Amino acid sequence: MDMIDSLSPDDSGSAPALEPMAMVALDAGRMLMEAGASANSIDGIVAKFARGLGADRVDLRIGYASMAITIGIGANGITRMREVGHLGVNQRLDQELWHLAARVSRGELTTEQTRAELTRLATKTPRHSAWVMAVAVGLACAAFGRLLKVDWLGTGPVFIAACLGQLLRRELLTRHVNVFICAAVVSFLSSLLGGLGAHWAGSGKIDMAMIAAILLLVPGVPSVNALNDILEGHPTLGSARAVTVAVILIFAAAGLWFGKVLLSHWGIET
Amino acid sequence: MNLTLALLLHQTACGAIAAAGFGVLFNIGFRSLPWCAVSGALALAVRTCCLDGLGWNLEAASFAAALTVGAAVQALRARADISQNALDVVGCIPMVPGSFAAKAILAMFALTSTTTADAAQTLIPAVQFALRVTFTIGAIGTGLAIPTLLLRVRVSR
Repeated sequence: MDMIDSLSPDDSGSAPALEPMAMVALDAGRMLMEAGASANSIDGIVAKFARGLGADRVDLRIGYASMAITIGIGANGITRMREVGHLGVNQRLDQELWHLAARVSRGELTTEQTRAELTRLATKTPRHSAWVMAVAVGLACAAFGRLLKVDWLGTGPVFIAACLGQLLRRELLTRHVNVFICAAVVSFLSSLLGGLGAHWAGSGKIDMAMIAAILLLVPGVPSVNALNDILEGHPTLGSARAVTVAVILIFAAAGLWFGKVLLSHWGIET
Repeated sequence: MNLTLALLLHQTACGAIAAAGFGVLFNIGFRSLPWCAVSGALALAVRTCCLDGLGWNLEAASFAAALTVGAAVQALRARADISQNALDVVGCIPMVPGSFAAKAILAMFALTSTTTADAAQTLIPAVQFALRVTFTIGAIGTGLAIPTLLLRVRVSR
């Protein structure tokens, strides 16, 4: 047997412990991906999980909508694939997974205990309430507005429009509405409310108020992750992220455009 | 040179609020939010100094700010108990040129109109905005990535 043969995994099923090990490591990777981690982070953490659970060899392929892992112990090995769901951002979950990976890599947990921990994290990791998020997003967009030179009269309407936009976005995503349609609808509502509010408040920066009110939709984490992935040797995933970012921006701009058309129809110049 | 203390404080405060607000959206815990605010404040302070103090263009100023935030986060990550990815990205969110992106796409929509009186006057700003978005996001991503890549090289040696 030459060197290549000795490294080739034998998918013979002779090592049943590999199956749960591979699926637990893949689940950890999937959760990280859905929590907004970059490819290199996922690669490192999945390797920690798999090696901590006893694997000798770990190879991971990270795609935009699926992940595949090959793990091996001695001459035995298996390859498994897992679908990845909607890519959001959840830093508390990301952080918890890093902590769990550290425990697993120290050999503190068995495969079953790790699976139970992953299930607990998926269901019990706390999230901020809808209202806290809405107010925070409103404040962020109002601050964005000030950075875009929106006057003080227009800042209040931007805050309110972004708050309502965030509440609507959360509601639509809870109902599993397509993320691009969601971007267009939220953009339309927020820009319209921001523009109307700025007009009624007497602001001289209605156009900028409309733009500031939809900045909650700017996919900042995916766009930075896209470039990071390309720079760190994952051009396929990086390109997929970049295309998704571009399409979200196009849908958000379409919503903004409809808002502008409606305001013009009502005689409000933007 | 248009930099004044009032402008610097205003931009820094807005950067801090925007970063903390997005920190909540990204489900960062309340205890870590001050670090997000500091990260955003640092980014906007550096960018404002470069833009209005040194007269740099937006892309160069964004690169300098992202590089500074990336380096600072590398130095502070152990204290903040928050993933490095979260902290530096959240700090740079207020610099993502969303308004340019919206203007670029709206200008492109306008170009498709059959009644566009002077297509060149619409096309040139559209291309300019699109290029600024591309280069600024590239500058932010590269600025954030450099400290991480350098540290990884140092650690792996």
